[in-house]
Amino acid sequence: MAGRTIVVTSGKGGVGKTTTVANLGTALAKKGYSVVMIDADIGLRNLDVVMGLENRIVYNLVDIVEGKCRTEQAMIRDRKLKTLHIIPAAQTREKDAVKPEQMKALCGELAQEHDFVLIDCPAGIERGFKNAVAGAQQALVVTTPEVSAIRDADRVIGLLEANLLKDIHLIINRLNVKMVKKGDMMSTADIVSLLSVPLIGVVPESEEVVVSTNRGVPLVHERGSRAGAAFQKIAARLNGENVPFDDDQDGGFLSRVKRIFGG
Amino acid sequence: MLGRMRDTLPFVIKADREGFLLIVNGEIPLPDLLEALRTKLEESKAFFQNSRMILDLRRRTFDPDEIHAVRALLEQAAGVELAEVRLGSSNGAFFRWAGAVLGVKVSLEGERERAAAAPQEPPPGAEPPLVVRQTCRSGTRIESPAELVILGDVNPGAEIIAAGDIVVFGTLRGVAHAGAEGDRSAKIWALHIEPQQLRIADVVALPPRGRKPKPKRYEVAEVKGDLIQVVSY
Ligand SMILES: Nc1ncnc2c1ncn2[C@@H]1O[C@H](COP(=O)(O)OP(=O)(O)OP(=O)(O)O)[C@@H](O)[C@H]1O
Ligand SMILES: [Mg+2]
Repeated sequence: MAGRTIVVTSGKGGVGKTTTVANLGTALAKKGYSVVMIDADIGLRNLDVVMGLENRIVYNLVDIVEGKCRTEQAMIRDRKLKTLHIIPAAQTREKDAVKPEQMKALCGELAQEHDFVLIDCPAGIERGFKNAVAGAQQALVVTTPEVSAIRDADRVIGLLEANLLKDIHLIINRLNVKMVKKGDMMSTADIVSLLSVPLIGVVPESEEVVVSTNRGVPLVHERGSRAGAAFQKIAARLNGENVPFDDDQDGGFLSRVKRIFGG
Repeated sequence: MLGRMRDTLPFVIKADREGFLLIVNGEIPLPDLLEALRTKLEESKAFFQNSRMILDLRRRTFDPDEIHAVRALLEQAAGVELAEVRLGSSNGAFFRWAGAVLGVKVSLEGERERAAAAPQEPPPGAEPPLVVRQTCRSGTRIESPAELVILGDVNPGAEIIAAGDIVVFGTLRGVAHAGAEGDRSAKIWALHIEPQQLRIADVVALPPRGRKPKPKRYEVAEVKGDLIQVVSY
């Protein structure tokens, strides 16, 4: 079996990469897939906190690549889902403690045994980014509807393309439908037309996200949460399911209309 | 108003399906070229890190020692691998030999053109236009010693510069500079002009605030008097 390795990246910090990895990983595991999430944000780990697993860490990503433990020893199993694991980042090490080749080898090894390997990328375009991207076949670029975040997402998409990673999808996070309607925020259609990569989902701005982060329970476990439902839709689309974009929930996105001329 | 562009680089770097393409212009002395290249690589180190570079020598020739020097600089300044050297049709045999000595793949223009569909020969003496077949994203800078054609959008944070006209088959949202060597008759054509800044020769224009309606077909920017005027068609 060969699983898929997917990096979640953004350029600008704090736009929701870790939140996205935690929720997509959880949603895919709930569908029955075997999922490993790697926290590649060395020195600033927090995927374990969002998953409520920080007390269980013994070994981490750097220990694996340095041969201090076997890969399975550093994989922490989720509290609820048997097929969901995380490999935490090292809190006390530098970003260059892992090399791109090592990351590639680890991702390749994990993809043999699991359906999805999700990589939580650090902010920025420096070494940490190169490492996180090295092992991935597919990228999800997260942006908020702010001009600065979109500019950085554009830069990151250019870098990914130059690294020959061409399977790229866009997630718009923290969309505030009211502000878009008032014309105070870029609309989904504007963002997609600027970045010209296919959209895979839109997550609304929601206080539930902060609450769930603090509780260490990803939102997709919560019934009736709009942001949770948005992440579930993204997971379904990743899984190849055909989930239509709905105008209201997805912020008025109209897919590009193709005109076909018959002869 | 700005003066003539003095900082036009002696080379152009563009992204290609196989990596980056380094096109060396004219007859600049090697030390000057190396210095300019080092500055560029160090400025954008993260961008180039570990990438592959194709050295395009169709506009000037190098001897193997010079290729060596460029290769060493690429590697040392930004960890860039010199993957291939592309040449014009003259000197083929010599360069095949040089390629073997250097251990670098050498391909000749004629061969490549037969593989792809052959482009039209430009009139003698004229530089061919540079054609970029992708969206220019934030952080990209593209320069052409002649005309420049972009088949895609030019996003905010990208800069495109040409000695001649600029044609964007998409939306121009970044910075564009046509007639960069002083030609005020140069024009900028795009399906939609909504730029951060426009320059033609020494004339600079900032767009008016607020959104404007999309043109039906295309827009053209040109110098009228001492101002840049954008006309929608
Ligand atoms: N849709 C949302 N609505 C409201 N708050 C959100 C949303 N998404 C993320 N947040 C909040 O934004 C903050 C940053 O999120 P997160 O840690 O996922 O971003 P990140 O991109 O991983 O950041 P970093 O670059 O620092 O790693 C968190 O406090 C999170 O709760
Ligand atoms: Mg994070």
